[in-house]
Amino acid sequence: MKCEWVQQNVLLYVYDELPDDARHELEQHVVRCKDCAAEVESVKKFRADFAQSPVQEPSASFLAASRMRLQEALETAEQGGWWSRLIFDPVHWLNQIRFAPALAAAIFIIGFAGGIGATYRLVKAPIENPGNSTNTTPSLASISGVSSIIQQPGTNQVTIKFDTVSPQEARGSLSDPNIQQLLLFAARNNFNAGLRMDSVNLLTQQPNNQHVREALLYALRYDSNTGVRLKALEGLGPYVKDDVQVRDAVLESLMSESNPGIRIEALRLLQPCAADSSVRIVLHRLADKDENRYIRAQARSMISQLPEMN
Amino acid sequence: MERSSGIPQPPTQAHMLTQSRIDDTLLVREAQRGSRSAFEELVRHYDQAVLRLALHLTGSEHEAQDIYQDAFLKAYKNIGRFRFECSFYTWIYRIVTNLCLDNIRKKQVRKEEAPVATDSEGEVYDILSQVADDRSGADPERDLMRRELGGRISRALQKLTPRERMVFELKHYQGLKLRTVGEMLNTTEETAKNTLFRATQKLRATLADMR
Repeated sequence: MKCEWVQQNVLLYVYDELPDDARHELEQHVVRCKDCAAEVESVKKFRADFAQSPVQEPSASFLAASRMRLQEALETAEQGGWWSRLIFDPVHWLNQIRFAPALAAAIFIIGFAGGIGATYRLVKAPIENPGNSTNTTPSLASISGVSSIIQQPGTNQVTIKFDTVSPQEARGSLSDPNIQQLLLFAARNNFNAGLRMDSVNLLTQQPNNQHVREALLYALRYDSNTGVRLKALEGLGPYVKDDVQVRDAVLESLMSESNPGIRIEALRLLQPCAADSSVRIVLHRLADKDENRYIRAQARSMISQLPEMN
Repeated sequence: MERSSGIPQPPTQAHMLTQSRIDDTLLVREAQRGSRSAFEELVRHYDQAVLRLALHLTGSEHEAQDIYQDAFLKAYKNIGRFRFECSFYTWIYRIVTNLCLDNIRKKQVRKEEAPVATDSEGEVYDILSQVADDRSGADPERDLMRRELGGRISRALQKLTPRERMVFELKHYQGLKLRTVGEMLNTTEETAKNTLFRATQKLRATLADMR
């Protein structure tokens, strides 16, 4: 083997980029050749010198601040999807231009009809709106905070007080989209843990709604309050078996949750799908490593009841 | 599905890695359907590494945070165009490295001073003096020598071209394989290898001159 080849590959050798056979050959050569051995040592020293000023991990507070800032920005950011490609797709634009006169006429007719319809409704049914929300539906961006959430006993009617420039109030049924929107907002944004608890509690009554389920998943993963996380977990319980996303979140909670009560509840919810391979892996980990004796025992008991895999 | 043995084996590192890739794929699909919580979960998988890279390359918390923010916002807005031709990890790193390269290029144009950085309150400080020293206290002389070496290294790194700096950063400090580095920088493994050669040659020459 030529020294020239070794000199060219020393760096790859030191940085573990050489294939095994080439690595072996180089090591054999270095034993016999002093010059090449010196070069290897020199590159190793170079690497060691740089290793003396290691990369700093960002501090926890800096990471948290960055996450918070990003989260705020994501609130207002919009995803560009297939529709944005359509908008910017020149061929599509040309097609649109072809149909532009017809489109303009259609928009004009729809606008005209809509205007007449709205006037008719205003004259016909001016004020009354029983059963529906009595809020003026402010944009969520203008809400500075939600101050209280009260459910009227025995009904599904909810009263939510929130502040914009001045305090406002919204009333309506739980199935009202505006009420749901406010509850979703409260579940994610309010600084008051009690209010988050109230909103998560009410949202658990309608977890079939995809947005509600997402809010519950969010609360389970990120809410700082144990009660809120537990409430969200309970709301997600019925979906652990069928919804993989929910199951993953519950598994994640089992692995990372600091509160043993929540871990025990999560373990209980996973019982119907304990045979699932991802659940098995987590059960084995819990059985070995969980700090709580009861959880370890419970995990072992669940594993022992599982059918053996062939 | 596990086969052959009755007793399921504990998850290996490779298994966990595969699992994490599967998780990423599921999360990306959810995010593509508009789930913000799925995207936030993806962010949590990678944001610490992204912040570490940006912080080390820029030397400034402000700039690192801006790069972090821009990278994930860009990823969020464009996730619909992600076609799984590479891993999400490679994709997000590609976005981050591009933003970092822009930042380094702008800095080189402005010819900013090397080891000086600004903290979150705008105060100027010496990055090298902030490096945690696990062994300090035991030997002040050694500590001083390490600081001097740190200063020389920092100045030597400033002499690299932005691309050389990036390849060296990804290989030496982030410990990535050259093939991955090539993918992230939209180039071949061979080019990444040559760039690493040039970078180390320059660094060795510069450090030798400084001794």
